[in-house]
Amino acid sequence: MKSNPQPPNWPDKLLSRFCRPELADEILGDLHEAFHWRVDTIGVKSARRKFIWECLKSIKPSNLRSFHHLSLNTMIIRNYLKIAFRNLLKRKSFSFINIFGLATGVAAFILIFLYAIQILTFDDFHEKKDSIFLVYKERITPDGTQPTYDTWVPMKDRLLSEYPDIQSGARVYSTEARVIKNNQYIEENILYTDESFFDVFSFRLKFGNSDQPFQDKSSIVLLPEIALKYFGKENAIGEEMELFIPDEDTTLRFYVSGILAEYPTNTSLQPNMVIQMEGLPFYPRYASRWDNSFIETYVLLDDPNSAQSLELAFPNLVESIWGAEVMDNTNFKLLPYTAYYDNFVGSKKDARTLVFIGLGILLIAIINFMNLSTAQASQRSKEIGLRKVLGAFKGQLRSQFMTEAMVVSLLSALFGVGLVLLGTPYFNEFFGVTISLLQYPITQVLVFIFMLTLLLGFLSGSYPALYLSSVKVLDVLRQKFSFGKSVGLRNALVIVQFAIAVFLISSTLLIRNQIYYMADKDMGFDPGETLIINASAGDFLDRDQGIVKLNTFKNELKSKSYMKAVTMSRSVPTFWTRSFMFVRPDGWTGDPLRMRFTYLDAHFFDTYDIEIKYGNHFLPDSEGDQRNSVILNEAAMKAFEFTPENNNVIKIGETSINVVGVVEDFNFESLQNEVAPTLMFHRTAEHAVHRYITCKMEMTGLSSKMEEIEAMWKNLGATKSIDYTFMNDRIDRLYESEQRYMALITLFSIISIIIACLGLYGLTLFIIEKRQKEISIRKVLGAEVKGLISLIFKDFAKWVIAAFAIGIPVVIYFISGWLENYHYRIDISWITFAMTLITIIVLVTITVGYQSLRAANSNPVKYLKDE
Amino acid sequence: MRIDYLNIINHMNLQLGVLEEIILIILLMKDETYGVDIAKEYEKQLNQSISLPAIHVVLKRLEKKGLVNSQMGEPTAERGGRRKRIYTATNKGFEAARDLQHKRNEMWKLIPKLNFIGS
Repeated sequence: MKSNPQPPNWPDKLLSRFCRPELADEILGDLHEAFHWRVDTIGVKSARRKFIWECLKSIKPSNLRSFHHLSLNTMIIRNYLKIAFRNLLKRKSFSFINIFGLATGVAAFILIFLYAIQILTFDDFHEKKDSIFLVYKERITPDGTQPTYDTWVPMKDRLLSEYPDIQSGARVYSTEARVIKNNQYIEENILYTDESFFDVFSFRLKFGNSDQPFQDKSSIVLLPEIALKYFGKENAIGEEMELFIPDEDTTLRFYVSGILAEYPTNTSLQPNMVIQMEGLPFYPRYASRWDNSFIETYVLLDDPNSAQSLELAFPNLVESIWGAEVMDNTNFKLLPYTAYYDNFVGSKKDARTLVFIGLGILLIAIINFMNLSTAQASQRSKEIGLRKVLGAFKGQLRSQFMTEAMVVSLLSALFGVGLVLLGTPYFNEFFGVTISLLQYPITQVLVFIFMLTLLLGFLSGSYPALYLSSVKVLDVLRQKFSFGKSVGLRNALVIVQFAIAVFLISSTLLIRNQIYYMADKDMGFDPGETLIINASAGDFLDRDQGIVKLNTFKNELKSKSYMKAVTMSRSVPTFWTRSFMFVRPDGWTGDPLRMRFTYLDAHFFDTYDIEIKYGNHFLPDSEGDQRNSVILNEAAMKAFEFTPENNNVIKIGETSINVVGVVEDFNFESLQNEVAPTLMFHRTAEHAVHRYITCKMEMTGLSSKMEEIEAMWKNLGATKSIDYTFMNDRIDRLYESEQRYMALITLFSIISIIIACLGLYGLTLFIIEKRQKEISIRKVLGAEVKGLISLIFKDFAKWVIAAFAIGIPVVIYFISGWLENYHYRIDISWITFAMTLITIIVLVTITVGYQSLRAANSNPVKYLKDE
Repeated sequence: MRIDYLNIINHMNLQLGVLEEIILIILLMKDETYGVDIAKEYEKQLNQSISLPAIHVVLKRLEKKGLVNSQMGEPTAERGGRRKRIYTATNKGFEAARDLQHKRNEMWKLIPKLNFIGS
């Protein structure tokens, strides 16, 4: 027993308040006792949920106190509601601004919240997530540390036998397999793993035995969709499945032993077919290899806090595997699974920023409400005064205004939810996400909306209620309304609104600049008119024949009149190599450098229009070039400290390799990262290492050309259908998450600006109404329209300036933090702020201008004849 | 037979629901018991969970029909210092349950079992 869990407090209080006293002991006592019992049987979380649920369920008419006991006067509440609705109807434009503004704010907030919650709860599905760690290797170099996340097949068992703190472990290797059905080969993702996978992660089975998902070595576990696709039914237990494994050129037979239960979409592991790696016939070849790393190793610790002491113990393990020399520059590390999202998928920080934006929008809407209600004070002072004269207490007045605020916030929340329900399909389609309010249990949603309404009503209503109820009776009767101190606060609130708008507008502009900068920057190669076909010898049943066929295909492509150049390579820009080797310059005595390497044929640089800066190209089809020549990129040249004049030689192990050329650095990945040093080796097209065919071609009449190419591919008899992309699309996809982030921020900036402008419009109406007499008198005394308008605008100018003074530093702080993530980045320029200023001035002028123009132009007699 | 069965119930002016009957039987088994205890027994016997508000409603109904009695017990710490209400079945409750079981047994005997053997 670690600690004694207690049930939550609020349902208890709620129930005690409303429940008949003679029943309270029994009901609450039972619920408490049941909670403790359930903690032991079904866990704290479920026990707590059940407790809340049963408390709420116990609030039913037969258990409730009678209304007299509740000391609620229903008459007066009914009266408050009546007055509230009358007031709403009386001032339709303000009610509209309030309700529409708040509803939009609520809708924006809910959308953001739904989106962010998916990211913030990423991988929360795994119950043991806090104890799961990904083992990775860190290489210590003079320039810093380099992490690599692929590990070795024997690593898991070694860790388990060596460290008792490690409770369990699972290896994961994700690759592709082709399901053979009616002589067709259909590509599917497959996971090689261990049986303990189901112990470490919380995947459960819908059909089959969750405790023993695999019956034997030939067992396979499928997603229901996959089972449905191949067997026409979800419960496909016992069915036979034939798989072709391209990596190994073999066909294997499996029997379905389990069907996975549904798991949420926001998990990093998305298994759809799972097999045991130990059962594979080629497993023994890898079982004890410490020189080939390609799988992910996860471990489950007894106590997450032991991670640090484990990391301290790892160097001994490294030494016992590879010796003392490696130990000095290599260490094993543990990455908490909860940090997986930030490391590999996206940024939880961005999601949190969005939540703050959502709160900001809500705040703007709340401020609107507060400002408009207090501004209305002068018009309601008679009502308030009269109520006081008739004996209303301050507290009663306060609850009256709170009721009004609650009515408005309830209406807004309902409209807001309606907007969300209508808007989610468009939102999802536009941003390529899958959020829905309806995916959560309806009771949870209702409770959420209820709480939101209360919160909104409380925040927006409490200040006006306090303020309005403070009217002095005598002043009212003397027709002297003094609401002096509210103006200061109101100004402050307007400034906050403007500051939020400044922040959103300039952040949006800056993020947009950075993304355009990355998308438009010269990447060092020509991405236009480039077709990339994903094709390798492994796509054919027989590898040797595959090479021949691929070359036929390549030559056929080349012979087409619209093809300008064709090349074959192991990797292409946007999907660059992740393979590393150890290499040292000739004569270097220090540690070898760990460097990326890839293979390409002699036409690669021409096809991509990459310039050779020093030295020569590879000679096409030259055997000599293939064995001991290499071309470096400039980054690699710098890393080796080579000078271009020399005949440079690098050594891989004891083999010497001549550097025949150096190419300009080209960005083969997102501009977020610096260009990494790369070794590029020559292999002619007749080698099995190549995975891509890149074609430079004329793009006019593309569809007929693609049809022709597809037909050519079909004739080859590969085990997969043609798989092609265009370079420009691939580059766009590199910035997909940034694009989405920008679109989201843009959308919500616009919403916030609309709401802020609405509020401003309402406020202008009031200011002008209050000053109409003053304006009229000035006019009678000879003031010009120009002067009158500047009188009104003077206030707004002050607010805008103050808002800039607050907003700009926040923008600079936030955006420079965001830009830190990018190696190639823009400078924060003053032009952005100037543009923001212009935008705001234009908006203010439009919002305020019309009303003030009308006021200044109106006939003074109309407003002065009363007195 | 069917008419007989209804007669008994009409005679006692009682309608016993299935849940009411089960909880009444649990009460008879246990001599004296209370809400959570019933929930535990229910889960043990029937292997499915039941919510406490449901039990409370049933107990109130049984009490109204005069099949159970209750009095307040002692407070305990694990109940948050609240007292429990302890229920015992009355003679009437015992009879009602017994009659139901009897009648049911008689009816069961009348099922022509041959029809179902092997299916």
